Amino acid sequence: MVQDESAADEPILEVGQFYELVTAHLEAALGRRHPRWVRGEVAKVYEKTHLYLDLVDAGSASSDTKRPVLNAHCWASQWNPLKRKLAEDGVTLKPGVIVSCFGYVDLYAPQGRIGFTVTAIDVEGLLGDVARRRQELITRLREEGLLEANKLKPLSPVPLRVGLVASPGTEGYSDFTGQLLKSGYGFEIVLVKTAVQGEAAPAQIVSALDALDQAGVDVICVVRGGGSKGDLACFDDERVARAIAAMATPVFTGIGHTGDESIADLVAHTRAITPTKLGEDIVNRVAQWHERNVRLSAQRILGATEAILEEATEYVGERRRTMIFAVRDRLRLEERHLRATRERLVLQSDHLLSAAQQMLASVRQLLSAYDPTRRLAQGWAIVTRADGRVVRQLSDVAGGDLVWVRLSDGTFESTVRQKDGEEQ
Amino acid sequence: MTIGDWNEAATELNEIVASFDEGEVSVDDLFVKLERATQIIESLEARLDATKAKVEELAPRIARVAEQE
Repeated sequence: MVQDESAADEPILEVGQFYELVTAHLEAALGRRHPRWVRGEVAKVYEKTHLYLDLVDAGSASSDTKRPVLNAHCWASQWNPLKRKLAEDGVTLKPGVIVSCFGYVDLYAPQGRIGFTVTAIDVEGLLGDVARRRQELITRLREEGLLEANKLKPLSPVPLRVGLVASPGTEGYSDFTGQLLKSGYGFEIVLVKTAVQGEAAPAQIVSALDALDQAGVDVICVVRGGGSKGDLACFDDERVARAIAAMATPVFTGIGHTGDESIADLVAHTRAITPTKLGEDIVNRVAQWHERNVRLSAQRILGATEAILEEATEYVGERRRTMIFAVRDRLRLEERHLRATRERLVLQSDHLLSAAQQMLASVRQLLSAYDPTRRLAQGWAIVTRADGRVVRQLSDVAGGDLVWVRLSDGTFESTVRQKDGEEQ
Repeated sequence: MTIGDWNEAATELNEIVASFDEGEVSVDDLFVKLERATQIIESLEARLDATKAKVEELAPRIARVAEQE
């Protein structure tokens, strides 16, 4: 048995005495009155009234069974104000986070464990770390083309079927849905309830996005009212960012207040600065579509209808008048033609009649030249036999025949006694 | 003799009017053509009146859309 000579004179200690001695030494070097800063990576974190952290050297492998582990704890009296501060700044103590803790050593003899009581945490350092991690995430997303991925998704010109990722009952939810409802348009809101802050929120938001992407909505709106950085931290979560980038449906965000810009906002198709503004944006898109495709179309239809009816009315009226005039003109033409024909016929008749009269006159004149009364008056006589036939030559009579001799003023009977001349 | 749709009827009516304009209508055809033109015009007017009635019924509904702000 090897024994240190210097300890030979020391009394043998009971276990409790030994721990008291160790505690005294630790207290003297690293105790409550000699607090130190210790930096480590959070390996495990557990909160139940108090905060319990397992810190390891940054970058050490979890598979290394010999890596040093510091069991730190922060009692509720210190932890609660720290927790509020961290929440406001959006910092979550979770595995992987590098944190500097101010505190002192303690020894818990019943388990023989050395612990570290945390009295303060380097929030500024944590914030810097968070900012760095955030920027690194943005850079990665940009390099992978994910900041633009959702912006390239085609957006319905009239996004009436709205998928909504939100927490009902919150101000952001009311602000957003209020805009849609008061617009008067027939929005259909497909809500998937999620937590919008806290540890559970990112996974729920991712799940909600997936569900709405499958639901065939026109647009997915992620809505969350204002809050601290901590409240909004879930919208800086890489899982949420990647989920938005992977959506086939355009994702719109209305998260926080004017000054807030989450990574979800950067990845989204369209970002509004508040839930109210997001609601207005959606309503405006529908209103613009309505203006272009419904109201102006209705105006054009009305105008065209009036013009067509006016033109048709004018056409039928004009055709009616045209027909009346055309028929009247046609009838007048016929009347004129008939009248002219009649007049022509009358003229022609007169002419013919006149010609006939002239002809008759000349005939009459001609005939008068042959009138026997004129000859009789000149001393000529017409001799006729008893049978009335005119005696033209000697052979027409024989001696003893009775003949009638007509003179201009009468007749007398005569008997043929003698014939002179040569009979034919 | 049936009367075709608006365009067919208008075409036939125009042809009748043109035949009058060109003096092609004989007196014997005059009545036949006038009667046919009258039938067409009355048919067109009846259709127009029916359409106007329908438009008067629908126009206020379209106007409400058109006047929305």
